[in-house]
Amino acid sequence: MDILLFILSKWIWLGFAAIGFGILFNVPARTLIPIFIMAIMGGSVKFLTIKLGGEIVMGSFLGATVIGFLSIIAAHMKHSPPFIFAIPAVIPMVPGAFAYQMMIGIIKLTDVDHAAFPGLLEETVSNGLNAFFVLLFLAVGVSAPMLLSRTESAKNFKLKIRTKQEQKK
Amino acid sequence: MTNFTEKLRNTENTHQLIIKQDNLLIKDYFCNNMETINPEEKKVNNLCRLLLDMGTLLMSSGANTSRIRTTIMRIASAYNYHAELLVTHRALMLTVYGKDKDLFFNRLKRTPPQEANFKIVSGISRMSWKIVEEKWSLEKVEKELGILKNISSYPRWLVLLAVSLAGASFCSLAGGKLIECTVAYIATFCGLFVRQETAKKGYNGYLCVFTGAFISSILAGLTVKYNIGYYPQRALVSSVLYLIPGIPLINTFSDLVEGNIMNGIVRGINGLIISFAIAMGMMCAILIYHI
Repeated sequence: MDILLFILSKWIWLGFAAIGFGILFNVPARTLIPIFIMAIMGGSVKFLTIKLGGEIVMGSFLGATVIGFLSIIAAHMKHSPPFIFAIPAVIPMVPGAFAYQMMIGIIKLTDVDHAAFPGLLEETVSNGLNAFFVLLFLAVGVSAPMLLSRTESAKNFKLKIRTKQEQKK
Repeated sequence: MTNFTEKLRNTENTHQLIIKQDNLLIKDYFCNNMETINPEEKKVNNLCRLLLDMGTLLMSSGANTSRIRTTIMRIASAYNYHAELLVTHRALMLTVYGKDKDLFFNRLKRTPPQEANFKIVSGISRMSWKIVEEKWSLEKVEKELGILKNISSYPRWLVLLAVSLAGASFCSLAGGKLIECTVAYIATFCGLFVRQETAKKGYNGYLCVFTGAFISSILAGLTVKYNIGYYPQRALVSSVLYLIPGIPLINTFSDLVEGNIMNGIVRGINGLIISFAIAMGMMCAILIYHI
């Protein structure tokens, strides 16, 4: 229940963040609503994973994978390439806080006394690696459906399903 | 003396006459040959030009390498030609040849500077399927491409408001309260405005990112300095997130995985420099305030 309340208080912000980036990247107007919905779904999956005790890297990966698969469905409905939906929708999950902490750490490392150095270095490296791996797994998650389907275009997804239906007939 | 000048004038005249005749001959030769260039060759040349136009547009508006390649090859095969493409970050090289004739065209085109525009990517992708399914003529493709090039973008005030709202949303997601969200909104708005202005003036792209990040973090850093609100750090973090190079970073991964490793590395470096510019902008503000 606690988790649901948490997500309910966050979902609109996930959507708005994605829409803002959609408009910045000049996406077609018809794709804005799917981006809004996909960002909410992906972000909710991430929050849910973290609340249930998963790592932030795992949560981001699952969220991005959900967005990746939804982008294929959206691509068929709105006739646009899938990555147009996926990139703005995945951006609210970017680990800004980790990257910031890492940078502050690096700046402080230039001017710190001998005793505090190892602790600060440890913290900085940990934050930096977290930021790097979250970014990496976001990219993996978004491109997962295309890699798994072994097709070069999302349109072939549809064609394959069609031919199967035709075979059934 | 007069005899000499007359002689000279005469030779000049004959000279000019000869040149004129030469020009005529050259013109004649070309005119004749223009007629003998067969329409097939003209068509391939035209197709080649259009394909390169599409490819460079896709590249500059943020499509990944395999998408560019498949789109170009799809359209070429719709006209019964085969296309081979060399894709680099700043130029495209294309060879088009007939499937059963030994006729081929080779062209190179420079890519305009990168600027994310997904309306163009979506439009060209849609057009490529229509070309295959509805058998468009080259004239129609050219007309449609002209329309796509001048496609409208969102009005500037809407971009500013929406991206600022995204900045405030980032702050809220990071756990900021109303005050921090307002700060992030204002900082994003001003930063983006400055970035757009500098981009309009034609400054270096990375410098634009730097100034944007600097302005945003100078504004948001003020609250950290004077400790306004509950978690002022969160406002500072989220005020520069509108600059993150999302498209280069995701394209990097998809290019690397699909085997276009050179392009992947180039895009990765590009994304890295943009991140570095953001960090530099933030760092300047932080060092100024001694946060």
